[in-house]
Amino acid sequence: MSGTDTDDAGAEGSSTTGEGSSYAAQLSGISKRFGDVVANDDVNLDLERGSVHALLGENGSGKTTLMNVLYGLYEQDEGTVRVDGQVRDFDSPRDAIDAGVGMIHQHFQLVEPMTVLQNVILGTEPTRGGLVDEDAARADVEEICERYGFDVDEELDTPVRELDLGAQQHVEIVKSLYRGAEILVLDEPTAVLTPQEVDGLFEVMAELTASGRSLIFITHKLGEAMEAADEITVLRDGHAVGTVSANAASREELAELMVGREVLFDADDRTTEPGDPVLTIEDLQVIGDRGRPTVRGVDCQIREGEILGVAGVEGNGQSELAESIVGLRSVADGTVTYEGTDITDASRRSLIQDGIAYIPEDRQSEGLVLDYDLERNALLGNQTVEPFVRRGVVDWDAVGDHAESIVEEYDVEPHDTGAMAESLSGGNQQKFVVGREFEHDPRAIVAAHPTRGVDIGSIEFIHDRLREMRDEGLAVLLVSSKLEEIQQLSDRIAVMYEGEFVDVVDPGAVTEQDLGLLMTGNELDDGSEPDSGTTHGNGGDDQ
Amino acid sequence: MSSTDTTPAASDDASGDGTDAGGDDSLGRRALARLVDASIFERLGIAVASTLLALLIGLVVVAAAGYDPVLFIDNMVYGIFGTYSVADLFGTNNRLAQTLRPTVTFIITGVAVAIAFRAGVFNIGVQGQFVVGGFAAAATIVSIAGSLPGGAAGGAMVIVVATIAAIAAGGLYAMLPGILKAYAGANEIITTIMLNFVASGVVFWLLDAYFRPGGTFFVRTERFPEHVSFPQPIFEGTSFSVVGLAIALLTAGLVFWIMERTRFGYDLVTSGHQADAASYSGVDAKRTIVATMTFSGMVAGLAGAVYVIMVLSYFSDPATLPTFGFDAIAVSLLAANNPLGVIPAGLLFGGLESGGNFVNQSSDVPRQLIDGVVGLVVLFVAAPELFRMAGKRMDVGGDEQ
Repeated sequence: MSGTDTDDAGAEGSSTTGEGSSYAAQLSGISKRFGDVVANDDVNLDLERGSVHALLGENGSGKTTLMNVLYGLYEQDEGTVRVDGQVRDFDSPRDAIDAGVGMIHQHFQLVEPMTVLQNVILGTEPTRGGLVDEDAARADVEEICERYGFDVDEELDTPVRELDLGAQQHVEIVKSLYRGAEILVLDEPTAVLTPQEVDGLFEVMAELTASGRSLIFITHKLGEAMEAADEITVLRDGHAVGTVSANAASREELAELMVGREVLFDADDRTTEPGDPVLTIEDLQVIGDRGRPTVRGVDCQIREGEILGVAGVEGNGQSELAESIVGLRSVADGTVTYEGTDITDASRRSLIQDGIAYIPEDRQSEGLVLDYDLERNALLGNQTVEPFVRRGVVDWDAVGDHAESIVEEYDVEPHDTGAMAESLSGGNQQKFVVGREFEHDPRAIVAAHPTRGVDIGSIEFIHDRLREMRDEGLAVLLVSSKLEEIQQLSDRIAVMYEGEFVDVVDPGAVTEQDLGLLMTGNELDDGSEPDSGTTHGNGGDDQ
Repeated sequence: MSSTDTTPAASDDASGDGTDAGGDDSLGRRALARLVDASIFERLGIAVASTLLALLIGLVVVAAAGYDPVLFIDNMVYGIFGTYSVADLFGTNNRLAQTLRPTVTFIITGVAVAIAFRAGVFNIGVQGQFVVGGFAAAATIVSIAGSLPGGAAGGAMVIVVATIAAIAAGGLYAMLPGILKAYAGANEIITTIMLNFVASGVVFWLLDAYFRPGGTFFVRTERFPEHVSFPQPIFEGTSFSVVGLAIALLTAGLVFWIMERTRFGYDLVTSGHQADAASYSGVDAKRTIVATMTFSGMVAGLAGAVYVIMVLSYFSDPATLPTFGFDAIAVSLLAANNPLGVIPAGLLFGGLESGGNFVNQSSDVPRQLIDGVVGLVVLFVAAPELFRMAGKRMDVGGDEQ
């Protein structure tokens, strides 16, 4: 999708000032500060016309800030923005849109009860005699869909909320194109998609560049940047640390650029064989927050020295499954047995004492009290554990030592137990939570999205710890929406769809595509089910 | 406000914060950050400066209304301290007793409110629990005092039993809205407010039907026997006893210790900060709500007992009692819901109450004007603390505590 496309795009090139002709946009020496925080420091980025330029970096590296400068949401402190070779100073996104810059945000900006067509033309409705000329709009939108191969033109009168996330994203893109975007910024567009939908998105991106549009693709996933982009600029701590051609880049090289040091991939060498079952779940049924059954008859066993990964598109009952096991959500039916004891109705506190650790899905609302310092947070979940509390009285010295050792062993920055939890970065918050949970001396761990929003360095660290725990004979239930993580860590993978385990598979025997199919409720045709786990009928009943 | 530059700390903070707290490096934001990081001594200094500033403005209003501001402040100071010299502060100083007497009740009821607020439970029913507790104490005393030996020992025994009864009654009465909230989802603000009326009504009926001495017209119990009262090593002859003050200080200290040093306190405060994190850590949210309300009500009941034993020596129509339970909300908020902070906050309220009463008695300044000046002081003292809380929430300033 690279090389040749740029040629025919060049033909469309409009205003030229010598140097800028082949670039759709150029950001030069952009610096942006928020108070004392430098979000972007002297960043350069040249977007070749008709190409995909990936902006790769960890969370908080300044990717979105940079793009918000281009999109007119922020004003840069230093540097210049050129679009089509002309220096531009956008005061608002409206200016940017008028200049042909569109941005697809991570969280879609769609009005859910309105139809696809209404959403697309919102704010730029063609009118005739003061009324919206729906026929003209429909024709225009259909033409755009036709040209780029979107199939949302069949759903123009469907309310957006009835579309899945992949289709909603297409609506966003069509909306930008309808407004005349020549440059499209996609902010982490793959975060909400299944692997199939990601492939579909990449095809759309290829179509767009083929027609001369230029794309900036923000991502923190190496593989995606290499697959979809022509050029990759890596941001780290607000600096552009390198721009490489996607063809010439290697995974290791990019990872090193992102993190600033060498990163080892996939250091898995399991040594132990799974032992006896620690957690046994039988016909578990759980009612969700909205009163509907969200876990609908799950059976599984998690054995000593084993990681059972639960894959699935979010919202298919994984969170409720995890919460019901650790005692935070009541079970409607079925049983959970832990080391031979029925714990179906046990309280959270008793399960903590019995050694079930839980890395919660949301560290900021559950795992930490944000306006406590780390010392006080070290007591969270340990309130009934000696020596921290004796006969109801807290021994803050013991808690302080404990906090100190977590910070030390889990490399939490800053090394200061007096620091407020909210002042830590996401990765360090998570390391603290993981450390605290693992120091409970647990026998089973339920980890929900243990590396969500965490930087690569910390991900590696947390993965290593999970493996260590597994090798020490713990039973681990890992819930994650990152397939890569599930595949790297799990000994078995259960795929959850609409509250059921549709299949339990061996990570070595399936591809990401297979998992994607299972996650969306399909079955694998070739009948390869290496691990005879529980396969529930995929009844196809949709509430 | 330009004429008030004499008290720089207060005027800077108050005006600076109000104007431009949102800007990046603005003066307002820096002032706010400074306020958030203020030490306990600086905060006390700010409170004193705020008080002076408020009085200054109040005096201007008093003068404008045609009254003598010098006499006003003179009466106010004398009303609070009962003297102009530190050397005479203690001794047979009845005015100081008039200040400390309401202070005791402000502190204990303030602590009751602080307990609930810290846990994120809004107990607006401290007044009702105070009434129920006071009635339980009075009912106990008039029922058993006669059948126990007299003298100091007998009196002490009666007081202990009556106080326990008051604590139990206040606790049980607060447990009710706690249960309603935890297990039926009833909003505690509404239920506790309504239960205040229920308390007054039921206690009135009980007094009328069972505790009114035969042949009397007023709805009140008989007077407690002489020996059922707190000893008065100083401030003799007043309705204030240092024992009451000691109980108030001990209560504040004990509750502070419970919150900072016990599992129950940690669970309670954590529930108030972040309910989800508390549940995650194994705290049973429903039981904590009930326990918090009960604990808060127990302290409110204690306040009732101390009030009837020390001040009233009888119990009468609850509608005639001062509204300590409501003022306690302001006391607790002023103290940022910190049980130890309730002590100075209670002193301020006690002083203003006593000083205001004295001004009222000894001059012709209208009650409304006095209350206005008093309100001004409360507002000015509370404002920096409120900005401080807002600043913390907005995340300005460095480390704290």
